[in-house]
Amino acid sequence: MSTPLQVYEPFKAGLPKLGKYWKSLWSRRTFIAEHSKSELREQHYDSVFGQMWLVINPLLLSGVYFILIVIIGGKTDTTRYVHLTGTLFLFYLVANSLSSGVKSVTSGQRLILNTAFPRIMLPLSSVVIAMFKFLPTIVVFMVIKAVVGSPFTIQMLWALPILFITTLLALGLAIAISCINVYFRDISSFLPYMTRTLLYLSPILYEASTLKPGLLFLEYVNPLFPILDSWSSALVHGQNPEMSSMLAGLGWATGIFFLGTYFFLSREREFAVRL
Amino acid sequence: MSSLSVSNLHKTNEIAVSVRDLSLTYSTTIDRRPTFKVRAKALMRGKKQTRVVNALRNVNLDVEYGHVLGVIGANGAGKSSLMRCIAGILPPTQGRIEVYGSVSTLLALGVGFNPSMSGRDNVYLGGLAAGMTRDEINGHFDEIASFSELGDAIDAPMRTYSSGMYARLAFSVAATVRPDILIIDEALSTGDAKFKEKSLNRVKELRSDDRALILVSHAMQTLRETCNDVVWLDKGKVISRGEPNKVIDAYQEFLQVGKSAAIDEDV
Repeated sequence: MSTPLQVYEPFKAGLPKLGKYWKSLWSRRTFIAEHSKSELREQHYDSVFGQMWLVINPLLLSGVYFILIVIIGGKTDTTRYVHLTGTLFLFYLVANSLSSGVKSVTSGQRLILNTAFPRIMLPLSSVVIAMFKFLPTIVVFMVIKAVVGSPFTIQMLWALPILFITTLLALGLAIAISCINVYFRDISSFLPYMTRTLLYLSPILYEASTLKPGLLFLEYVNPLFPILDSWSSALVHGQNPEMSSMLAGLGWATGIFFLGTYFFLSREREFAVRL
Repeated sequence: MSSLSVSNLHKTNEIAVSVRDLSLTYSTTIDRRPTFKVRAKALMRGKKQTRVVNALRNVNLDVEYGHVLGVIGANGAGKSSLMRCIAGILPPTQGRIEVYGSVSTLLALGVGFNPSMSGRDNVYLGGLAAGMTRDEINGHFDEIASFSELGDAIDAPMRTYSSGMYARLAFSVAATVRPDILIIDEALSTGDAKFKEKSLNRVKELRSDDRALILVSHAMQTLRETCNDVVWLDKGKVISRGEPNKVIDAYQEFLQVGKSAAIDEDV
């Protein structure tokens, strides 16, 4: 028989056939890109500056911290300012993935109820949007670094694998939280407080090396801690990041990605009756 | 009601869709007053007040290639649930569905559309959401634009469209997809009378190809003209299946509406 056979039986928690699932997801990569772009454009549809907000946002954010640290705080050491902006921009890649990802499935109700497609596409699209927002901040960061005279070194290339690890973490978190939100909608109301707590528990407003010994456990319980520390070492200080931090970050990201993906894929066939 | 169990005798390549003992049950929360007090009480009891909905009960159905099956029934009869089960959107609670071929659904118009984008952008978004590739959309773009009769408005944001314009573009995109099995749920009531006729003709064109069509509609005249078979659903059960005029007449008698223009045409 030449026609493909598709069999639908009662839902059982468990993974779908991964090869087939991946093929279906890959065939929709253009839709993921277009869907993400259109969502992004809609966010600034009625504004005067439109897509320029992708650059204006990080500029304003760094401006606010410049006032706080350099002007009001009177710190002449610009490294702290560079550290803060650099790590904050990377943090926002994760925070934006979470805030956009949490409702990606529940707000995609119309698509889910009317089309059969790999549902993981929805949180994936949220991470693509967060990445679109993140990329201009890299340019802004490089300009800031050049203006304050921070050194550019070959070690800065470590930022590439660190960015990969961060994206994997963001993807895992977005996938997991979008699935949790289907069963427990209150999670979206808790999320702003969770991300704010994560911000304070991460080496952004301070550097990891300045942390009190009693608080060093944060390095082990916060997945973002080793990643942001490595990011600061490479991009801000122009040094090789510690391999233990890189491996810890990779371990966290991989673990969360696989757990989140397993949870999502094993439940996604049930989403349509839960929405 | 026609039993479809004999269709097991059909050769598999003739069968497009086989539905066996399909039941679909789901529960919905029924907090009539979603107040803090009600929620707190439910939380203390550790459970929500829910209502179980039996959307489909032991449905058996076969659809063959080259045939058009019409599905009728009152609101809440389970027509859309059945279509969603066949499309793989809703998992059955019981039973088994076998689908031999690619399925495209036209269950709602404008799925995947973004109102802030232009009609042109939405042709791509809607087409990609329906599973087409960018090249396929490029190849059919002029056909879609021409069929929608939007003219220059194709480059205006869709939020400026009237509901008729919106539906016309959505139908034009959806009708371009050429699957083995096409499921259309109440999408033929699109636009004005002239566009409705165009839509119906498009469906008839699709019928002439060797594919299976499932049409859900309240437009009885359309179903009488288009379908080989009609199935009547009520409260999740198949009441009758067979020759369109016979089943539709029985349905109209059941509804006690008789043959009127209002029931024959989708209004």
